[in-house]
Amino acid sequence: MTDDDGDQFNTVGRGSMPFVSRIRRQTDYNTYPSSIPIVIDNGASYFRIGWAGETEPRVVFRNIVHRPRHKATGETVTIVGDMDPAMMKYFDCTRSGPRSPFDSNVVFQFETMEYILDFAFDRLGANGSGIDHPILITECACNPVQSRSKMAELLFETYGVPAVAFGVDAAFSYKYNQLHGICKKDGIVLCPGYNTTHAIPFVDGEPIYKGSCRTNIGGYHVTDYLKQLLSLKYPFHSSRFTWEKAEDLKLEHCYIALDYASEVRLFQEGTKEAEEKTRYWQLPWIPPPTEVPPSEEEIARKAAIREKQGQRLREMAEAKRLSKINEMDSELSSLRFLVKQLDQVEEDDIPTFLSDTGYASRRELESTILKVTQSLRKARGEPKNEPAESEENNDSLNNEKYPLMNVPDDMLTPEQLKDKKRQMFLKTTTEGRLRARQKRNEEELEKERRNQVEEERRRENPEFYLEEMRAQYKEVLERVGQKKLLKTNGSSNGNNKSGGVGRGERLSAAQRERMRLLTTAAFDRGKGEDTFGSRDEDWQLYKLMSKDNDDDDEQADSDEAELARITSRLQEIDPTFVQKVEGESLTSGDVPRVRQLTEEDYKIVIGIERFRCPEILFHPNLIGVDQVGLDEMVGASIRRLPHEETELEKRLTSSILMTGGCSLLPGMKERLECGVRMIRPCGSPIDVVRAMDPVLDAWRGASAFAADLNFLKSAFTKMDYDEKGEDWLRKYQIRYNKL
Amino acid sequence: MEGELMEADIVVPWRLSFKKIQAFDKYPKGQSTRRWKHLKQILQAENFHDSSPDLPNYVNIESPPSTQPCKRICDITGYEAPYVDPRTNLRYANAHVFKTLRSLSPDQVHQYLSIRNAAVVLK
Repeated sequence: MTDDDGDQFNTVGRGSMPFVSRIRRQTDYNTYPSSIPIVIDNGASYFRIGWAGETEPRVVFRNIVHRPRHKATGETVTIVGDMDPAMMKYFDCTRSGPRSPFDSNVVFQFETMEYILDFAFDRLGANGSGIDHPILITECACNPVQSRSKMAELLFETYGVPAVAFGVDAAFSYKYNQLHGICKKDGIVLCPGYNTTHAIPFVDGEPIYKGSCRTNIGGYHVTDYLKQLLSLKYPFHSSRFTWEKAEDLKLEHCYIALDYASEVRLFQEGTKEAEEKTRYWQLPWIPPPTEVPPSEEEIARKAAIREKQGQRLREMAEAKRLSKINEMDSELSSLRFLVKQLDQVEEDDIPTFLSDTGYASRRELESTILKVTQSLRKARGEPKNEPAESEENNDSLNNEKYPLMNVPDDMLTPEQLKDKKRQMFLKTTTEGRLRARQKRNEEELEKERRNQVEEERRRENPEFYLEEMRAQYKEVLERVGQKKLLKTNGSSNGNNKSGGVGRGERLSAAQRERMRLLTTAAFDRGKGEDTFGSRDEDWQLYKLMSKDNDDDDEQADSDEAELARITSRLQEIDPTFVQKVEGESLTSGDVPRVRQLTEEDYKIVIGIERFRCPEILFHPNLIGVDQVGLDEMVGASIRRLPHEETELEKRLTSSILMTGGCSLLPGMKERLECGVRMIRPCGSPIDVVRAMDPVLDAWRGASAFAADLNFLKSAFTKMDYDEKGEDWLRKYQIRYNKL
Repeated sequence: MEGELMEADIVVPWRLSFKKIQAFDKYPKGQSTRRWKHLKQILQAENFHDSSPDLPNYVNIESPPSTQPCKRICDITGYEAPYVDPRTNLRYANAHVFKTLRSLSPDQVHQYLSIRNAAVVLK
């Protein structure tokens, strides 16, 4: 599609909706005299503006406004139409989302409308002061007068427009098609739009609004339905289903089934036809690198490397040990030499002699020698001898460490008594540790033996064993569950709004028991005198109370430990075992993480959704909107008409025109025919036609209307607006027939 | 502004010659668009009760509720659904779907119901 300047822009048509429309500024604005009106089709989805008399609008863009902050300068800028994703990096879009001036199909936010008009006129090439052309702008059917007057005000006062006219887009489309002979002068126009769907009857070429009806379902709801269904079906990929993606899917794949029930039955039975109709969307998925089992050589090579490393380490350790031994040897020999020297020196000279070497007395020297010899022996000694040695050491140490143990008390001095006590303590602790270690060893051996026995049993009779395990599991699960229930019986039971009342129910059995004990104890003596505590037995009460709790916990713990053991066992051996999590089981969102992700998980299947989503146009109660669908709207519209002739009705139904973006869905025509036939008497003529271009015909019709010489008679000027007031504006309607 | 941005020319310029009052004068910074009346408020203000039922107005031309029996389809699969789950009020088609239904989290149940406008919203 090209315009006067030869600039290319995308045709607004099925499958090639301009997601981002880079529109060049038109340069021929000044070539148009002031009498040529500007035609605007202000739709909730797209905004189209152009010159009257032409067949294509010059500027088309999505009717939304972004007001992000420019990252570099920090100022808030305005961007109209779809945001180019390549440009998004310059802006900070977190604070503001896209805004539309529409609420349902009525304009209510005029600040946004102003930005849109700014952009539109700017792109049309407007310059100079004020827009000097009359404007024809479309609105919804029976637009509330507030919206209308604000729009007129905006155009007159901010843009300086000389004259304004309002028209209904569906009507323009019908007139345009009537001009081209697609439909007759009596008929009904069905316009499923973005937010709403209208059915307006035409008699003698004029729309009768009294007979029109509007359902609040449109293309927006279809896309939204598709988006929600897919997000719920694939919660794992829900971030993929953006609004734009859902809209693309809708445009490409959705269709209207002739009869919903039979289509669904095809899918339910899984017939080949259903298979053909299903579309698959494969999301990008990289399989995790499969681990090739290492080949023989690999294993051998790795083993050899490990062996070498081990060898190296061992050599290093050996070398270190040898050097240490050597060192200690030399030290020992020097010490022995020192002792020998000491022997030769006299008693009195020892301190002076030793002060050089750093030892205080002969005793110290001897003890150092002893230590060094011991460590030398240890370093040299082999592992096998060590336990024996250590045992020997232990024994000898025992005798050395606890020399006083065997000496009876009365033969010792008080100091020695203290020593003896200390030694006793040490001995008991070490012995205790030894005993504990032995016990642990025994226990482990015992467990091993038990496991082996179990394995044997399992191998003999796997089925039976499995059954047994399962039964046990169920039992223990029940017990644990019951215990939990008892404990939290009251507390989980109530959204108890009354605070104090009902406290008794909330306490568990144990707590109740405690309360009982306390109260009886306190009450025991009676006569108002509290003598609790005078007897020792009374205090046993507390022991009872706390013991209760302890017992409970212990029992519960052992049960839970049992449960854990059985669960792990079952998980090992039973392939079909699924652990019952308390309360809810795994949500469907978690499932892909439990098992290995396959390619299948990344394939989005769009089968039934293809025709389930557009079905809401015919059955709005699928989405919760309690209104008639497209086919019944025709009937409702005819019923509302003030006339009562059957001839007129026949003429109306024989010229039903479909326009609006949603009517591009395949299968709509046949479905409508079926639907209308159901509500009309048998044999009446029914003819459903689609507009030549459902999306652009509204603008084209408006353009043709504005090009008419008598257009200005239908428009009103600023003076009219100021003088005649709101009431007149309410009644203002243009006459569509060419005079 | 970055060169690429200038070239793309997507930003609406500040000052436009054909406007009598510029946007930044009319809407000084800080005043948000909250002062615009939404459709509901507009309709309330219009007071359509008083006007005669003969004249078509925005509220008059709304469609009536459907006279055909309500179509019941399964919330999850889209098949025909003769059954309703008493616990969650979801519609389902057969036992297989029922199993999936019972394994849904309350969040998802709420979402399914809200598509149909049947969710109970606790305040």
